[in-house]
Amino acid sequence: MRKRMTGLFKGMSVAFCVFALCLTDFGSLTAHAGQNVPYETYTYDYYEDIKYTPAAYVPDGAVNGEQIGCGSFLSPQDLNTDEDGNVYIADTGNNRIVVTDPSFRLVKIVDSFLNEDGEEDHFSSPNGVYVSSNGNLYVADTGKLRVVELDGDGNLVQIIQNPKSDVLEDGYVFTPLKVAVDYADRVYVIAQNQFEGIMAFDEVGEFIGFTGTINVQITPWEIFWRRFSTREQRARQQLFIPTEFTGMEIDQDGFVYATNVDSEGEQSVRRLNPSGEDVIQQQSIALSGDLTWRLSGTYSGASRIVDVVVRGKGIYSILDSSRGRIFTYDHEGNLLYIFGGLGSQEGTFTTPVAIDTIGEEILVLDSNKNLIDKFSATNYGSLINQAVGLRYDGDETQAVECWREVLKLDSNFELAYVGIGKSYLASGQNKEAMNCFKIGNNKQYYSIAYKRYRNEILKENLNFILTALIVIVVLVIVWKKAGKKFVSKKLQERRMSHV
Amino acid sequence: MFKEKIKYAFYTIGHPMDGFYEIRHRGRGSVVLSLLFVLLFGICFSANRQYAGFVVNFINPMSINSFAEILSVFVLFLLFCVGNWSITCLMNGEGRFKDIVTVTGYSMLPMILTFVPAIIFSRFVVADEEAFYYILMGLGIAWFVMLVLTGIMTVHNYTLGKTLLTMIFTFVAMLIIIFLAMLLYSLISQVVSFFTSIYNELMLRV
Repeated sequence: MRKRMTGLFKGMSVAFCVFALCLTDFGSLTAHAGQNVPYETYTYDYYEDIKYTPAAYVPDGAVNGEQIGCGSFLSPQDLNTDEDGNVYIADTGNNRIVVTDPSFRLVKIVDSFLNEDGEEDHFSSPNGVYVSSNGNLYVADTGKLRVVELDGDGNLVQIIQNPKSDVLEDGYVFTPLKVAVDYADRVYVIAQNQFEGIMAFDEVGEFIGFTGTINVQITPWEIFWRRFSTREQRARQQLFIPTEFTGMEIDQDGFVYATNVDSEGEQSVRRLNPSGEDVIQQQSIALSGDLTWRLSGTYSGASRIVDVVVRGKGIYSILDSSRGRIFTYDHEGNLLYIFGGLGSQEGTFTTPVAIDTIGEEILVLDSNKNLIDKFSATNYGSLINQAVGLRYDGDETQAVECWREVLKLDSNFELAYVGIGKSYLASGQNKEAMNCFKIGNNKQYYSIAYKRYRNEILKENLNFILTALIVIVVLVIVWKKAGKKFVSKKLQERRMSHV
Repeated sequence: MFKEKIKYAFYTIGHPMDGFYEIRHRGRGSVVLSLLFVLLFGICFSANRQYAGFVVNFINPMSINSFAEILSVFVLFLLFCVGNWSITCLMNGEGRFKDIVTVTGYSMLPMILTFVPAIIFSRFVVADEEAFYYILMGLGIAWFVMLVLTGIMTVHNYTLGKTLLTMIFTFVAMLIIIFLAMLLYSLISQVVSFFTSIYNELMLRV
């Protein structure tokens, strides 16, 4: 009986230990496993290795057409939010624009308007939608080859169609896919099969020109091969045409963020200034989604970036349709976090086509599932957003507090070390700053910190160094003289012995 | 005796023409010493990856494997010697295999001499000063190339043009050797797997 009891006790205590271990061990992983996130969250470190991080964003439900109360969507292609957080969905297959408030209650459905002749006119597969800062609605009415501008009450303002210009070839068919409008009411249109760039129109709908032309790069190797190929071979070779743009958004400074497909994975997002030049800031990593990928089979190839959202404070996110991931960068081009995936669970996509935000919440439109996936920031994600925002505003000291919190959740986050290092550098703690920059792999700032540290050491030990130098010089002189004497003495001795 | 040889190695890197001639014809070189230099260079090469200052070091510390690096230096060294020997045998070269090994090993001495100070120096540089590090390293490598060329030229009694030609052929020969080695490896592994499966069949089925 006693034996049995001890056995039981033993069993119980073991069970208890295991239970306690479970509590302590898995309690700390709540950000990872506890929230049942159906995808990995990761980032790339300095050496372009994948580093898994706690979840930055977690799925926060999905909304479909029935829940909004407008009947189900059919292959929706674009999503846009205005400053108040109202959501505009281009419900392409149903030939309508659905407008909801920030909590996805139906505001209105726009599917027709009165045209110049006063007749009722309908959209035909609208692929793009945009709301300008003054509340006007722009619709890329793809099926009818035009861009329609309506005011807040749904009255027609203008129709942009059939642009005429010397730079456009005769018989060019204008097929708008995506539309965006800046503060000066310039209209930017991504048109189908238009490889010259984004088409820009002025406020009365006159075609101004192309912006953001991507230059074709031919390698010397390709030139070499083309020289040796026959005319027939050349005709069958792949044409060297620039890639098409896929999505765009205007930031608060009126710069156009535009995404394009880059099969090489070098640059898939651009920030175009008013004269159409790319002014995006880039670090050593490519602004093109994933840095490594499989070369063949499923899930292979570079990320196919289809849309971009500008999230304020220089942060922007791009959406990859090939693997269903969302990549977030800061204004310097540092990768902050990557999340999302393909699948059929809630929070994963089958065909993600458009991305936008309401506040910190990220919305992704899935044209195959016909719904909008919502993602909300975790503590980890919002801390990063906050720290990057503070740094963007120049408030580095406050950012340090956020970075320290980030490091508590993810001790691999290099940007946080750099942020903390900068504050050490500002307060003159060069040694600590060096350490932080080394962990954060920032050679430029490490160099600055080390230079100061080196000067500090030199200054402190200047007396010692100078004294040592004098002593060495004196010693050398004495040594030489003594050596000479010694040598001559020896020579004398030798002569003596010879004699 | 060995001290004399070491002294002679230092004389050779300063006077390659005379030095390598005497090594070929008067036996003043040492294969053991040459292999020691290769080992030292392997260590320097690995140390450079691991201990070069943060500002000039772009190597992922997770990818450093000193043993593999030293071994790969040795393999490349051996490959070059064998390649060069097989080519120069066909092209009237007068050098023996022993001489090629000695020349190549001795030529690595300048790299050992510049890598060590460069690594130490790199730990005290900041941005804009790293050029000195690269110059020092480049100097060692250029000296090495110069020594190998003169050495091969001298021991085989070649002209410079013929030396450059044999160098190109040597690299081709190295590639062929690598190819044959891989072919052999895959064939042997197939044979091995064939016999293992026969053994398994016999043991488990019969």
